[in-house]
Amino acid sequence: MTDILRILISPLVWLASFSAVYGLHGLICGHGIEGDVLGFPLQRVLMVAAYAAAILLQVMLVAGLSAQRFSSPSAFVRFVSRVTAWVGLVATVWSLLPVVTTTYCL
Amino acid sequence: MKALERHRRMTETWASDPGFKGWFSTVSHTDLGRMFLVTAFFFFLVGGILAMLIRAQLATPHSAFAGPEIYNQLFTMHGTIMMFLFAIPTFEGLAVYLLPKMLGTRDLAFPRLTAYGYWCYVFGGSMLLFSMLFGIAPDGGWFMYPPLTGPLYSPGINTDFWLIGITFVEISAIAAAAEITVSILKYRAPGMSLDKMPIFAWYALVTALMILTGFPPLILGSVLLEVERAFGLPFFQAELGGDSLLWQHLFWLFGHPEVYIIFLPAAGVISTVLPVMCRTTLLGYGWIVAAAVALAFLSFGLWVHHMFTTGIPHMGLAFFSAASTLVAVPTGVQIFAWIGTMWKGRPDLRLPMLHILGFFITFVIGGLTGVMVAVVPFDWQAHDTAFVTAHLHYVLFGGFVFPILAGLYYWLPHFTGRLRFFRLGELAFVLIFVGFHVTFLAMHWVGLLGQRRRISTYQPEDGWTVINLISSIGGFVVALGIGIVIIEVILHAVAARRSARNPWGAGSLEWAMLTPAPAYNFASLPHVTSRNPLADNPDLAVELAQGKGYLAAPSRWRETLTVEVASGKPDYHVIYPGNTRLPIVMSAVTGIFFLSLLVKFYWTVPVAVIGVAVLAWRWVWELGRKDDLPAQSIGHDVELPNTVAVDHAPGWWGSLFLLTANATFFGSLIFGFAFLWTVAPGWPPPVWFEPSAIELGLGILGGLVAVVAMRLALRANDRARSPLPMLGVAFAGTLAVAAACGLLMLRTPAPAEHAYGATLLVMGGYGLFHAALVSLMVVFLIARVSRGFTSPVRRAEFPIVVLWTDYLALVGAFTLLAAHLTGYLA
Repeated sequence: MTDILRILISPLVWLASFSAVYGLHGLICGHGIEGDVLGFPLQRVLMVAAYAAAILLQVMLVAGLSAQRFSSPSAFVRFVSRVTAWVGLVATVWSLLPVVTTTYCL
Repeated sequence: MKALERHRRMTETWASDPGFKGWFSTVSHTDLGRMFLVTAFFFFLVGGILAMLIRAQLATPHSAFAGPEIYNQLFTMHGTIMMFLFAIPTFEGLAVYLLPKMLGTRDLAFPRLTAYGYWCYVFGGSMLLFSMLFGIAPDGGWFMYPPLTGPLYSPGINTDFWLIGITFVEISAIAAAAEITVSILKYRAPGMSLDKMPIFAWYALVTALMILTGFPPLILGSVLLEVERAFGLPFFQAELGGDSLLWQHLFWLFGHPEVYIIFLPAAGVISTVLPVMCRTTLLGYGWIVAAAVALAFLSFGLWVHHMFTTGIPHMGLAFFSAASTLVAVPTGVQIFAWIGTMWKGRPDLRLPMLHILGFFITFVIGGLTGVMVAVVPFDWQAHDTAFVTAHLHYVLFGGFVFPILAGLYYWLPHFTGRLRFFRLGELAFVLIFVGFHVTFLAMHWVGLLGQRRRISTYQPEDGWTVINLISSIGGFVVALGIGIVIIEVILHAVAARRSARNPWGAGSLEWAMLTPAPAYNFASLPHVTSRNPLADNPDLAVELAQGKGYLAAPSRWRETLTVEVASGKPDYHVIYPGNTRLPIVMSAVTGIFFLSLLVKFYWTVPVAVIGVAVLAWRWVWELGRKDDLPAQSIGHDVELPNTVAVDHAPGWWGSLFLLTANATFFGSLIFGFAFLWTVAPGWPPPVWFEPSAIELGLGILGGLVAVVAMRLALRANDRARSPLPMLGVAFAGTLAVAAACGLLMLRTPAPAEHAYGATLLVMGGYGLFHAALVSLMVVFLIARVSRGFTSPVRRAEFPIVVLWTDYLALVGAFTLLAAHLTGYLA
């Protein structure tokens, strides 16, 4: 079962972080959260922080699944889990990119 | 022992009851797979006839063929039947029939569950057919948006048929998904490690996991909408704190993955059949597995792209637009792997290959129009037009029907033991392919000209008349093609010549047996050393028939073995239950439950619930043993413990995946609560829940006590001490959770007056139901211990109840915290 988890973990984390960032966006807009941090709008700061955390998590998974310590003894599982780890990372960067490119509550 | 003698003795053990009555008691995956496929194809024909009626109506403007009321029922039932009663059950049937054969084993993990799922499908589907025959079929469109389907605008029984009938059918999907998942992970031939699994099994595994996590949001939505319609709890009524957008979220959380749940098994068929047709092996096996996994996950991040016109902020739209474009990448990886396979091999244009080429052309066009509607500004223009209808037909017909027809012709010799003789299939392919493109290219065009989907008529001056007529003619050409396929299949089954064992020269294990398949599949189980075992050893079938594999000695039991998930090393010996009518009886009693809800005759609901509980008790009770079974020899000097003597028996694995689906249901409920609180108008509620530290503490502590006591009971059993005292404590713990959840339900602020109270009531009900369920399990275990069904060796039932108790403690705590903390916060 650990090998199945190795294959699924990165896309699973993407799904969780994608939903979490979308949920955070809903909270910010639904509850009218406002303010600023160091001159930047609080809403944008919160969203960018969540985006950065999601990317960091995926980078750690790519690194972990590439390291001998955490990777599978099976060459096949090693290969597939590394591909899905990159899928998780690319999906996180791309699907949450609007965090830094669009308006948030319009 | 000679092969023929082994065959006779194995058949005695494994055969279904003879004759017509055998259909009702069979638990054989071969029988049930065929029954699933035949029933699903019947529903395909019904859905197809409805499509023809739709096209007849739209062929001319001002058509008097069907009035708007009937027309609404026609398109609703067409979509519903094709999605829920044809596509998903076809996957289930194909997987049920093929997987044990491809994986080199004798049956699926839970044969009685396969039968139960099949009969739930038949009874649930029959309810929907019945509604159609009496003119009271669902008429709110296959995605049933409230407020149109709410009690105010759809007061009749039509919508209830959909909500209750589809939920009944979904039991079948969830049962099949749990079964398929456990079977693929555990029930394989020795030596078949993950990298040697047939590619169809990977696709089926991914699909089954998607069903387990994709269907629960829809089941939840259906429950909430039905509760709103029946009891007036306002989950989707904006003026009372509900929000109709919640339905759209729940529906499309299911609905978009559903498209890939339909496509992925078909892609599994392509990946299996294409290399055989090209006389080579599949290119990029690892890449395809990774692409299937990626596609499955990405498909869960797309649901809002069906809601681009609902006023969601730009950033939200952009998230889902970006994710929607991304999904094209893993799809493209698979397409290029298949093109590479064709390039590597020597394609032979036999009939399955023609359908695969039909798939390529059609599905790629559907994928490209999918990228078009993923772009928000375009979607704003095309939304709810015939363009979208055409796009989804290109994806679903191209991505499912063509591959399934390829699979039908590929595995027909396996089903019947005969070779195709009449060459009608080629003509049928041409008619279906040409007819389809005429129908739906025209539909794209008329959609771009502005024709709305689901309209029952239009004006001559709209300028759509000729295009619609062309589209209708194309539709009838497709019907002609499908008719010829049916004629050929019937002729094939009754009049074609006998086939050799492996007519296509395939390398996968399903061809290493007699055709039609014997009840036991393999006289002895193979040891697998590659992905194409039959290609590596063409004499494999004969060697297995001669008993040169595992479990070759005929036994009075139906025996197989399980393997370690990753390595494929044998780990447990399994004894299956025999033929029984218990599944059909239990599905009929389940049907009484749903029927009682449908006709609002609530007095029979508890009777049905008790009936199901009694039958479930008997279901599990029959599996027990009162003596310790020693390790069993499986041949080749290997001995394995029986599953009654292990921590993670098949029942534990089944529970694990059932709880995965259950947790998704609960997660969707929590999401719904958060969504309403955050987004819905009409909040805050007029009255908040009055929190109570005593009730909160009682529930959480009760759950913890049950968790600890169950572990101590397990330990006592392992050390040959009586587990009964600790089981008693665990029972008391579950009662405490039940009491806390029951009190929550009793004290919820008027649930019919605001969505807040309504949601708390449902959450409390969920907790109470699980507390009652786990209490029943603990009582069952007490009875088993008292009757001598357990021992330090026979311990497998304890970890299963531990797992359920853990789940109860978790959801009980979440439910109570959600209710009481909101009260404190307020």
